[in-house]
Amino acid sequence: MPDILLQGLTKTYGKGAAPAVDGVSLTVPHGEFLCLLGPSGCGKTTILRMIAGIEHATGGTILMDGEAVDSVDQARFVPPERRRVGLVFQNYALWPHMTVARNVDFGLRLQNVSPAEREARCRDVMTKLKIADYAERYPAQLSGGQQQRVALARMLAINPDVLLLDEPLSNLDAALRLEMRAELRRIHETFGTTIIFVSHDQWEAMTLASTIAVMDRGRLQQVGSPDEIYARPANRFVAEFIGNPRINMVNLADTPARAGESVAAHLAARLPQAAGASVCGIRPEEIRLVPEVSGDALCVTVAGIMPTGGSWVIELAHGADRLFFSTQSRPKVKPGERIGCLLPDEALHLFDAEGRRLAIPGYGLCEAA
Amino acid sequence: MVHALEPTARHPAPLQRLARMVAVMRHEPALAIGAVLTLAFAYLIVAPVVSILLQAVVVQPGDSARLHQGEGAFTLYYLARAFASRMSGILLWGPLVHTLTIAAGTVALSVSLGVVLAWLVNRTDLVGRGWFATALVVPFMLPTWTFALAWTTIFKNGVVGGQPGWLQAMGFATPNWLAYGTLPIIVILVLHYTPLVVLIVGNALHRLDVQMEECARILGAGPRMIAFSIVLPLVRPALLSAALLIFADCIGEFAVPYILGLPVNYDTLSTGLYRALSSRQTGVAAVLAGAIMIMGVVTLMIDLRMMREARRFVTVGGKGGLQRRQSLGRLRHLAALLPAAVVLIGVALPLLTLFLSTVMILPGRFTPDNFTLDFWIGSNLHTVALRNGILLTPEFWAAAWNTVRIVGIAAAISGTLGLLVGYAVLRSPVRLIGQVLRQITFLPYLVPGIAFAAAFLSLFAVSRGPIPALYGTPFILILALVAENMPFASRSGIAAMTQLGREPEEAARVAGAGFLTRMRRIVIPIQAGPLATAILLPFISGIKGVSLFVILAVPATDVLTTYSLRLLDYNYDQAANAVVLMIALIAWLGTVLIQRICGTGLARGLES
Repeated sequence: MPDILLQGLTKTYGKGAAPAVDGVSLTVPHGEFLCLLGPSGCGKTTILRMIAGIEHATGGTILMDGEAVDSVDQARFVPPERRRVGLVFQNYALWPHMTVARNVDFGLRLQNVSPAEREARCRDVMTKLKIADYAERYPAQLSGGQQQRVALARMLAINPDVLLLDEPLSNLDAALRLEMRAELRRIHETFGTTIIFVSHDQWEAMTLASTIAVMDRGRLQQVGSPDEIYARPANRFVAEFIGNPRINMVNLADTPARAGESVAAHLAARLPQAAGASVCGIRPEEIRLVPEVSGDALCVTVAGIMPTGGSWVIELAHGADRLFFSTQSRPKVKPGERIGCLLPDEALHLFDAEGRRLAIPGYGLCEAA
Repeated sequence: MVHALEPTARHPAPLQRLARMVAVMRHEPALAIGAVLTLAFAYLIVAPVVSILLQAVVVQPGDSARLHQGEGAFTLYYLARAFASRMSGILLWGPLVHTLTIAAGTVALSVSLGVVLAWLVNRTDLVGRGWFATALVVPFMLPTWTFALAWTTIFKNGVVGGQPGWLQAMGFATPNWLAYGTLPIIVILVLHYTPLVVLIVGNALHRLDVQMEECARILGAGPRMIAFSIVLPLVRPALLSAALLIFADCIGEFAVPYILGLPVNYDTLSTGLYRALSSRQTGVAAVLAGAIMIMGVVTLMIDLRMMREARRFVTVGGKGGLQRRQSLGRLRHLAALLPAAVVLIGVALPLLTLFLSTVMILPGRFTPDNFTLDFWIGSNLHTVALRNGILLTPEFWAAAWNTVRIVGIAAAISGTLGLLVGYAVLRSPVRLIGQVLRQITFLPYLVPGIAFAAAFLSLFAVSRGPIPALYGTPFILILALVAENMPFASRSGIAAMTQLGREPEEAARVAGAGFLTRMRRIVIPIQAGPLATAILLPFISGIKGVSLFVILAVPATDVLTTYSLRLLDYNYDQAANAVVLMIALIAWLGTVLIQRICGTGLARGLES
């Protein structure tokens, strides 16, 4: 039984404006840990707010456990206070005039839970989130990480069917991010709640979610596991959005006549099957450096070496083209050195003129899988 | 597994869209609140304003014989009479010139004085800065007519009957130009409004990032250069805003010209309006009210324009915690004479004068046998009426209780309505309602209190539809006070709700709280401070207010202001002044209370 079902969900602000969310259809099964990933302004937070019921859709339907909670066609709208969802805001939105304990038990008081049980449940959640010691403090007296845990505890206390998180790690410093990341995974395992969170940060998405839905300009681009999204991007946008350093993109459409002068010409000569492709991508870590220029290798010059702490990004120049190569091992080359580089067939991603992925056997990772 | 489905975009039928809208809006109480408030204010604010404007072009009761037209028929008679008849010099042009002279003079003087004081207090190492910062604001907390009464106590001459002024009693004949009219009115209004300039400009100076001045210094600019090319341009929006506020307030000022002009037939537009009303020339009164409103609208339009321009400077985010102060050197003691003089003339002198006048039997005679506390606490005095001191007179306590009750209820209602307006304006899913509410609630600001009172009188004096005749009841006063307080109350409500943001309430919604719970547990507790200010400030201005009461109060609903004015009319000057001092005391205590509740609330509230 799927938990949350979005069908053609659309949100337009004002007449004539481009839709913020444009016909998004998505199924989120119970217990899923889903990330809505995309650049800012792509409509991901709007979807989250519509699921919570704080915004209403201007098109399409949201079903929860088979019941339409927001449906334009059926003229149905269930307000957020009756949806049994928990939403953690990006800036936490704690109530400044209540102590931590009051913030956490607010929802339970509304449900007429007996004082003893309320006390026990609050204590339990606060202990699990390690904020029990601050129960009598006010939000202003807490650090950012503690505030976030209170915001989380406040929603977990009411035991929601779905937990919605808006950029859960973005306001935290590096050390806290790692700690919170582990915490969220632990919550997902112990509470077994469906979690949907929004992020513009691929690291956050990749490390937390079991499924990622990539969005751009209000539309869903690809849904899949972090691995799938990375290894088999459905289109050019996903390929370029995911991955750091960015994927190398070679434009095949304007191949100059002389082979060997550009990467595109090199690829065109090697890949007659890919005639329909307009762009070819290869991830920086998939490139292989070879000491000498052999038959299949591309002749490049090392234009620059950038250490990024434990890994290195090397800029390779071929004529006017630039390719970025990344490696975990200390590079033995020096700037200015001429070497060969291999672009393995199975690591190439081919996209047509509209940016759609071309499935050609033998190209692209995981094709066989 | 998660999987994407194909988009299914469809366009629903109109009926379905309506049903959908109802389904969504049912859960948006802001919409219903906005609609109810809009209707209420249409009745409380728009109807009176429209009715008074209509009266200018419609034959008024009693005029039909003279105009040979039926009552209620369209006529240009009143406009012609006010603008182009033998009477128009007395009715309109003279008062208009007086009004503009007073307003322009007050603005020019109070702004120049206020800027210097604001700079001294905020940006220099003046002696006693902190003390002056508080003391300089006091004149603004006192009712304007406190000063006017103090002035007449000293300068009143033989032109008007009753007890003479001190100077007159001591044998100096004070000339008319010193005792009444333009000069004293301007002096008093300057004393009253200079604190406003100090507050607003001081606030702007405070927010100004010191780094900008330091940057100019590094580039080699001298202090004069910095003052004129950096500080002044950046403070200019605040300066202009203060100037326009004062100008608009002066145009509607009633109490001061009532005391210092009316006895010698020196009219401004507002006292002219009052005279026209009391001589039952309602048509002409409507024309005068229209004239004041138009001037108010024009001033406000200019203000709005300036504000829009000022928004370009919004990036002036002042993080610069360190405030650099100009060192005045040896002048830091001498310069303190200016604010000291303002405090002396603006606070000490008038209050002392008023107090002395209440403990002296005959004015201006400073001999020990002339002093008595009888006017405060005496009993069985040898007077026709008022045989006890003020504090022992039941009428005084009745009036005081009436004041606190009527003004208090009105202030509580307007403060609450203001918060609700803020809620509706910011939360209403229908933009139009928010905009309409914003404009309607600001309308009373453009209408002088006296004109507003007149409109209320004509609208609510007789029973209309389901509403019974309200004249003579406290309700008409409460309604009029609420309407008059709405500009401030709604502005502070909107500001408070803007600051709160949506999220605390949304979080409560998600946690399962319905509308009433959200209001009770989240919105109102967080807004307690602003709400208290939004109630107390109208309370103070209501206690000081004259113009509404002068028209709408009857002996049964006597309040302190009308009580003191009536005592004045019967020449119980000492008792009248004692009542005024009590009003000033209440107003001052209230202001202190506000500042206790929320530090800079007053300055912030005035600027928004």
